[in-house]
Amino acid sequence: METQDSSKTTKYWMSLEQWRKDPQFAEMAEKEFLTSPLQSDEGKEGWARREFLKLMGASLALTTFGCVRRPAQKIIPYAKMPAEIIHGLPNIYASSYYDGLEGFGTLVTTRDGRPIKIEGNPDHPGTGGGMSARAHAHILKLYDPDRFTNAKRNLQNENRTNRETINVKWDALDTAVVEQLKKGKVAVLMGTQLSPTSQMLVGQFADAFGAKLYSHDDISYATLLDGQQECYGQRAFPRYRFDQARYIVAVNNDFLGTWLTPTHFSKQFAQGRRNTANMNKLVVFESLLSLTGTNADERFRIRPSQSLDVVMALLHEIIVVKKASRYAGDGGVQSILSNFAKSRGELGLDVSGIADGLIQNRGASLVVTGGPQTEGEGALALQVATNFLNAVLENDGKTVLPAAAAVHTPGTRGVDELLTALKKKEVSTLIIHGCNPGYSLPSGAGFSEAIRNVEMAIYTGDRNDETGRLCDYLACDNHQLENWGDVRSIEGVLSIQQPTIQPMGDTRAFQDSLMSWMSGAGKTGGLRGAKTWYEYLKNHWMQNVLRGSEDQWVELLQLGVVKGSGSGGGGRSFNTSSLQNVKPTQKPTGFELALYETVGLGDGQLANVPWLQEFPDPVTKIVWDNYACFSLRDAKQWNIREGQHVTVTTDNGSVTVPAHVQPGQADGVVGLAIGYGRQGAGQVADGVGVSAYALAGWNSGRAASLGMEVKVAVAKGMTEIACVQDHHTMEGRQIVVEETLADHLKKPGGNVHRHHVASMWSEHQYKGNKWAMVIDLNSCTGCGSCVIACQSENNIPVVGKKYILRGREMHWIRVDRYYTGSPEDPGVVHQPLTCQHCDNAPCETVCPVAATVHSDEGTNDMIYNRCVGTRYCANNCPYKVRRFNWFDYTEIQSPRHLALNPEVTVRHRGVMEKCTFCIHRIRSGKQNAKIEGRELRPNEINVACAQSCPTKAITFGDLNNTHSAVRAEFNKEASYSLLEELNTKPALKYQVKVRNTEKLKGEHKKHGKGSHA
Amino acid sequence: MKKIVGALVVLGVIGGGLSAFIWAISNNKVVIGYNKGYQPDQPIPFSHKLHAGQYKIDCKYCHVGTEVSRHASVPALNVCMNCHMTVKTDSPWIKQLADAYSSGKSVAWNKVHLLPDHVKFNHASHIKAGKDCTTCHGQVAEMEKVEQVSPLSMGWCVQCHRQPENKAPLNCSTCHY
Repeated sequence: METQDSSKTTKYWMSLEQWRKDPQFAEMAEKEFLTSPLQSDEGKEGWARREFLKLMGASLALTTFGCVRRPAQKIIPYAKMPAEIIHGLPNIYASSYYDGLEGFGTLVTTRDGRPIKIEGNPDHPGTGGGMSARAHAHILKLYDPDRFTNAKRNLQNENRTNRETINVKWDALDTAVVEQLKKGKVAVLMGTQLSPTSQMLVGQFADAFGAKLYSHDDISYATLLDGQQECYGQRAFPRYRFDQARYIVAVNNDFLGTWLTPTHFSKQFAQGRRNTANMNKLVVFESLLSLTGTNADERFRIRPSQSLDVVMALLHEIIVVKKASRYAGDGGVQSILSNFAKSRGELGLDVSGIADGLIQNRGASLVVTGGPQTEGEGALALQVATNFLNAVLENDGKTVLPAAAAVHTPGTRGVDELLTALKKKEVSTLIIHGCNPGYSLPSGAGFSEAIRNVEMAIYTGDRNDETGRLCDYLACDNHQLENWGDVRSIEGVLSIQQPTIQPMGDTRAFQDSLMSWMSGAGKTGGLRGAKTWYEYLKNHWMQNVLRGSEDQWVELLQLGVVKGSGSGGGGRSFNTSSLQNVKPTQKPTGFELALYETVGLGDGQLANVPWLQEFPDPVTKIVWDNYACFSLRDAKQWNIREGQHVTVTTDNGSVTVPAHVQPGQADGVVGLAIGYGRQGAGQVADGVGVSAYALAGWNSGRAASLGMEVKVAVAKGMTEIACVQDHHTMEGRQIVVEETLADHLKKPGGNVHRHHVASMWSEHQYKGNKWAMVIDLNSCTGCGSCVIACQSENNIPVVGKKYILRGREMHWIRVDRYYTGSPEDPGVVHQPLTCQHCDNAPCETVCPVAATVHSDEGTNDMIYNRCVGTRYCANNCPYKVRRFNWFDYTEIQSPRHLALNPEVTVRHRGVMEKCTFCIHRIRSGKQNAKIEGRELRPNEINVACAQSCPTKAITFGDLNNTHSAVRAEFNKEASYSLLEELNTKPALKYQVKVRNTEKLKGEHKKHGKGSHA
Repeated sequence: MKKIVGALVVLGVIGGGLSAFIWAISNNKVVIGYNKGYQPDQPIPFSHKLHAGQYKIDCKYCHVGTEVSRHASVPALNVCMNCHMTVKTDSPWIKQLADAYSSGKSVAWNKVHLLPDHVKFNHASHIKAGKDCTTCHGQVAEMEKVEQVSPLSMGWCVQCHRQPENKAPLNCSTCHY
């Protein structure tokens, strides 16, 4: 074996430390846990001492009362049992989820009346059952201890800076608000309402009080809408069809991670990729390394201000050079393109090949752009140019369809108009709903000063956060799981939102608030006799969608999704006069700012959910912080090390943050994530990171960072950045396998290094079921939805930054991110990794108490009540998937414990745990089949990670069932086992990653192709 | 001499006690931890002998989860009140029951059959496998006050699972997960 050689030519690497062959990294890689045993400063938080006393108490009790009955327990049955509840069985309700502009149907699992898990509704055509990490995390937002449980009044001072609130009764609040509303000059500031019925109600509220409606989203897509308005005369979101596109170009756009509706787009993207005979190609031009960039077949680094230049260069190449468009003879277009001659030269990229690809796939290509880093001066021009490029490529009506419906209430104005009105004292009552302008408007907007001019400000948020503390009343809205509603997703699919729990506190739906204020003022005309929001919603559906049939309403509640909604297409014509304003912009000479959204935290509204704070960023794998990202060259030039504090200053403000050196980032760019630095968001969120909005400019009603020059100064101090990627490193030869499309089509799995291994033992016999899993690396985008799905399903604790730094994260499934090629411009492969459930499991043989054993169904079982915590198993696991409970994580702050899944044991201190292949789901699936007196159906049992995957990259099932999907996938040529040379015979196989490119990054070091013994 | 005798006596007492203890444990005279024979008083002296024995009410009339769920479940008070709205309404116990029902406070029964949290037992699949309630719970229909008649220990579970005719799984993860 050539282990010595292969370690020298490591093709894939996880971090810069590994790439540099840092001795510290080598030391770390050998360890399962970075620190062990406990260190002297651990448990100083107070509970370790408590733990000690508790143990003392317990052993005393044991010695004294050893022969007496175990503590007596009580059974308290319901007095009046709700008909639908059978103790021990889950009830599943169809509902809907929305966050920002993403919305889709969900199935919510409840136990004894409390929701414990959200899953995607497989009937929803947009997502097909896929979920995002954030959607899973909403369950913990429901049980957020910092959420207000009743309406509050803020006893404001003149400057509106008060942070103390007092409780107020809803009656008193209503009286005060109605009194105020009657005075007129009412304004409502809202985030985009995906609910059509809500939109209608808000419209009627506005009519009743003569209120003006203003719109603000924490992550604004207003520029995209403006672009649509300019080019097509319709201010609405188009429907993108990534599944129909064979050639996709993304310019500073993270459509797989954060942009618009990433779950939906991920599903579409994977659909166009799974069939390798007709596989799409993704070309990404970007400044930071985004999730989309990591999935690119070809990737180019540009500065944010060069985004427009790239689009113009492509247009120039297609129209002028290759004359492959009917605009080739258009003098107006030519002269606009000629303005960009200089910037094309500065770009220094040869886009001829990409232009060829786009031309060849005319009508089946797609160009997208937009995101926080492209907001600012020239943002509209970028949108217009991109729309034009899609029009030139004849994509309109094929991969870009006209909008299904306007998501805004008609007559809605922008937030900049509200600010003007506020400054002119034209507003005396301001109602804020569904957005957090106190956080997401940069200081340049002057919101906190302008709001002083109103007589009464009412906020429907559920806590005294950045906006709450500027307002007089907090009319706390219900959580979306407590509320009725409906959702029309951007692709036009209608779904119903059914409450899954009574409001936990005395909160009230925003819509109910509007209705009670309307009836308080005697203006109930628009409500058509409805007394509550539920009645209003039902009336609306009965009259407009269901045509008055009660049966259909019940059916709708059961299905959740309206079948057939969201289909239809059609073309549009591009209005060339919109191109007049596309001009080159002034470019900064120094560092450029790039604000970005993270997959985990997004706009920051879920920042108080600990799962998301401890969710490793899909690219950097950093948790519990935001940080300024620098390219390798810049870091070297400025002598910036990982964690070094830097002060980043723009004309608008300055922040001091730790630095992170990011492979693949464009030179001259500083990246900073929004969504952090929350104030008043709760115990988890407060104090984590800094608010990037401090740096943002204010440009035509939007937070801007495009083309903004920043000054960087190295500051004093270091922060240890908690990055989980270096933990749990597998020191194997071939862990991820990539192939070019051409190679793959010739021989799938040809790059897999096969080993001929022989076993000295007789193999396990699996006569019944044999559970197995296949993960298709080609479909996996690395979004991390599986990580949070597993956390939600399996009661996995959050350990906090301090213990992450010591390598003690508890996630059962992790997504390893490997770089390949040069650190300046690496390729990236994501690999979800969980317990491999080996047939010859190394962990099983070393456990002295047989707490981890092999079942006759192929699973590697972990028996918590047997485990004494020797951790031998973890040391012997080559995949490093075992997690140890260093502390007692069972004491969970109320009411977060309500989110626990009663099917899964909550592990106590001192035991090992790991992925169980969702054994509780296997057990209940088999029990159900048994109770119903039938055989298990193929693919009947699914695990939480596979269920959640938006791209369906994970397949789970019974290998012994000839009809199961996993059996077909398992035996494909492209499947391989991890560390096959160890002969562990995993029950989990991977399928190779296919790149639609000529040459793989880092390929020059390729070795050991074929098989050897 | 005195000291030696004293020491011998002390050692003898300790040793004798220990031997007796070991003998008692190894011969099942004392069962540590298991609760065979446990028969607590209940807040309302519900008689299975009367309901299930004399009146022959089916177990599953009250224990509704038995055939479908993991838990057989103790009935909600509305099940009791199905009959006791009209039956024996003048009894002080039934009055107590009716109060608990109408106030919504319910009744805190003492749990008789207790499995540790790390054991997942499913009633429905055992009923489906043709096991009668009495296999584990004994002749409840003859009990005035319910008593735990089986040890409910792991060995006791496994001994039945091992019988080839039961075709029961023997994986650890059958019950522990």
